[in-house]
Amino acid sequence: MIRAALTNRALVIGLALSLIFVGAALISFIWVPQDVGAMDIPNKMKPPSAAHPLGTDHFGRDILSMIMVGARTSIAVAVVAVVIGMGLGVPLGLAAAARRGSLLDEVIMRGNDLVFAFPSLLIAIMITAVFGPSALNAIIAIGIFNIPVFARLTRGAALSLWTRDYVLAARVAGKGAVRISAEHILPNVTNLLIVQGTIQFSLGILAEAALSYVGLGAQPPIPSWGRMLADSQTMISLAPHMAIFPGMAILLTVLGLNLMGDGLRDLFDPRIRRDRR
Amino acid sequence: MTLLQIEGLNLAIHDYPILHDVSFTVAPGQIVGVIGESGSGKSMTALAVMRLLPDGARATGRVILDGQDVVHLSEPELCGMRGRVMGMVFQEPMTALNPIQSIGDQVAETILVHERVSRAEAMERARVALARVELPEDRFPLTRYPHELSGGQRQRVVIAMAIALRPKLLIADEPTTALDVTTQAQILILLKRLVQEDGMGLLMISHDLAVVADMADHLVIMRHGRVVEAGPSPALFHRMQHPYSKALLAASTHQPDRAAQPQDTPLLQVQGVIRDYATARRGIWGKPGTFRAVDDVSFQIRRGESLGLVGESGCGKSTLTRAILGLEEVQGGTIQLDGQPVFTGHKPNRAVRRRMQVVFQDPYGSFNPRHRVDRLVSEPFHLLDTPPQGTARDAAIAEALESVGLTPEDRHKYIHEFSGGQRQRIAIARALIIKPDLIILDEAVSALDVSIRAQILDLLADLGDRLGLTYLFISHDLSVVKQVTDRVLVMQAGKIVEQGVTADVFAAPSHPYTRQLLAATPRLPEFENT
Repeated sequence: MIRAALTNRALVIGLALSLIFVGAALISFIWVPQDVGAMDIPNKMKPPSAAHPLGTDHFGRDILSMIMVGARTSIAVAVVAVVIGMGLGVPLGLAAAARRGSLLDEVIMRGNDLVFAFPSLLIAIMITAVFGPSALNAIIAIGIFNIPVFARLTRGAALSLWTRDYVLAARVAGKGAVRISAEHILPNVTNLLIVQGTIQFSLGILAEAALSYVGLGAQPPIPSWGRMLADSQTMISLAPHMAIFPGMAILLTVLGLNLMGDGLRDLFDPRIRRDRR
Repeated sequence: MTLLQIEGLNLAIHDYPILHDVSFTVAPGQIVGVIGESGSGKSMTALAVMRLLPDGARATGRVILDGQDVVHLSEPELCGMRGRVMGMVFQEPMTALNPIQSIGDQVAETILVHERVSRAEAMERARVALARVELPEDRFPLTRYPHELSGGQRQRVVIAMAIALRPKLLIADEPTTALDVTTQAQILILLKRLVQEDGMGLLMISHDLAVVADMADHLVIMRHGRVVEAGPSPALFHRMQHPYSKALLAASTHQPDRAAQPQDTPLLQVQGVIRDYATARRGIWGKPGTFRAVDDVSFQIRRGESLGLVGESGCGKSTLTRAILGLEEVQGGTIQLDGQPVFTGHKPNRAVRRRMQVVFQDPYGSFNPRHRVDRLVSEPFHLLDTPPQGTARDAAIAEALESVGLTPEDRHKYIHEFSGGQRQRIAIARALIIKPDLIILDEAVSALDVSIRAQILDLLADLGDRLGLTYLFISHDLSVVKQVTDRVLVMQAGKIVEQGVTADVFAAPSHPYTRQLLAATPRLPEFENT
């Protein structure tokens, strides 16, 4: 398995990109090149130099430091949103599959449809508009939209597992739906959930950037990639580096996570793995 | 004159050798049967002739079909030959047809690919091809879709596609394995007739010695990628030389020794059981209809008896099994084990359940791939009020594994480390671990190769004698049921149409359906005299 993982190009590149940003976020807790709260107006909007490898913004803050601290916000928002989505969506999906065709199944799935029916970003904007813009509200808004994604995925995969003979054998052994779901269904959908988790993670980062961009995510002075982009747009012709570096950070992280998701899917699916040597 | 000449064919996939020096010939109008167990390379031989090999496969040797060496042809040249010179029929008619194209279009497509004819003419020829496989247009319009046809009818469409251009060679890879016996007999007759009419060669691949023995003029027996024995059909059975061919023949007719005599006390009593399923509503306000899968079924199994239940797919065997196991509630009648009901007040009765276990057909789907053997085997402990813990549990697992011929050390392995036959042994160990009285064998040996099947049947007979087990043996394979059961029930469309002592039913069937089933069952030549 590990050898197969190392020969999978998408997985290795994706993992490397993702680790760079996770590493940057972790390092930022103990060390950043420059304090992100410290303004240095005389040195504002400086292009990359030895002192500021990625240049400075319109308050003279070091962009590299801001990207490193901003990674914390992005990752935290995306992680918690995926945890909310999985934590609620997976049990709902398992329950719907265990009682397939029942009223419970119908209620859960139609509830999912209801959430799916709204454009997710719009609802996120609504939630933050009502409860006030903050990183926490962004997390909740993004998390709610992860629930139906995981619920559907889990239900679909679980339905086919419920027809397996080993599930029938477990029923013959007198096991109930909850126990079968926990022992036989969940372990066999984990692969799918991990793959979907990485993809939702990257979508969460994008959603957080979008919310911050319109000013509804993390609030100043907490650095955020989305707001760095928003701040840079009026000065795009004067200081293009202010837009390019946070933009690259978003792009590369999302690319890395998506590649990792693809790579994991190939790794878990032996049929694809064989073809892509 | 030969049509297909295979000479010294070697095949390796990713440098792993699959076929070694395979040679045989097929003449026009001749039926050549290739027999082997799984992994013998019989399907790969067929795919090599079609050059439909998986990625990474490399073939050497000569495969001369109609004067051309298939091994050295380019892909476009091969495309010109496939369908026109050689046709192929696959095992699984459910997946061999495109579900969103009508049968007429699918047959016509083969014609349009190869010949510059108008669509109307192609359809006309598709009509002829379908009529030849006994799907006349007045009863089976060309606009039918695959899901509107039964398995046997779909296999006829697949055959129509293969013979539409009157190929010189037809390759049939297990063409009847997925079908019921009566359908199988009809498809075999059809293939035979088409071979005679068109004078084409038929290369028929099968794991079932009896099916091929009936059909083929010439037999090729393969094992581990080699031809072990070949010769003209009926004669070969009488003068087999190679020990493997002899073993294969012996395993096909294997008769396990059973010493135990059934007692007179009934163990399982099934009284007037009815099982209805709801079907789709008619219209928005209409009431859902019902489909009666099991219709007033009554029988009993005596302690220590081995009872056979035979019937074709969809006859209600599996539904009945689930009802007996207490997995689904019945709509009428009673099921009692030793006088206790399986279902009490809409709840399955745990005390009864722990005395019954089941072994399923598919050795690959019966186990959770993520659990180790000890956990898999000990799953039925859940039925006990005080399941054994610690050393008692270890001892019980070791005992169960040893009783099926595995070692206690196997408990730490995962299921993928075992072969199909070993997995079926583990399935039996799982059934044995809580020492049940009744074991239901739901097609438990149907997916196994004949030699493995003989071993498992011996094991079951031995366990039955030693542990005083009672078996309900469910199968579509009459020859196996004949070998291992005391009494037999014949089920058709939810009803038991005949029951009696196995030997009597097989010798003198009284119901027309039983007679039909017996007539359709392929036999080995030796059987015909006895």
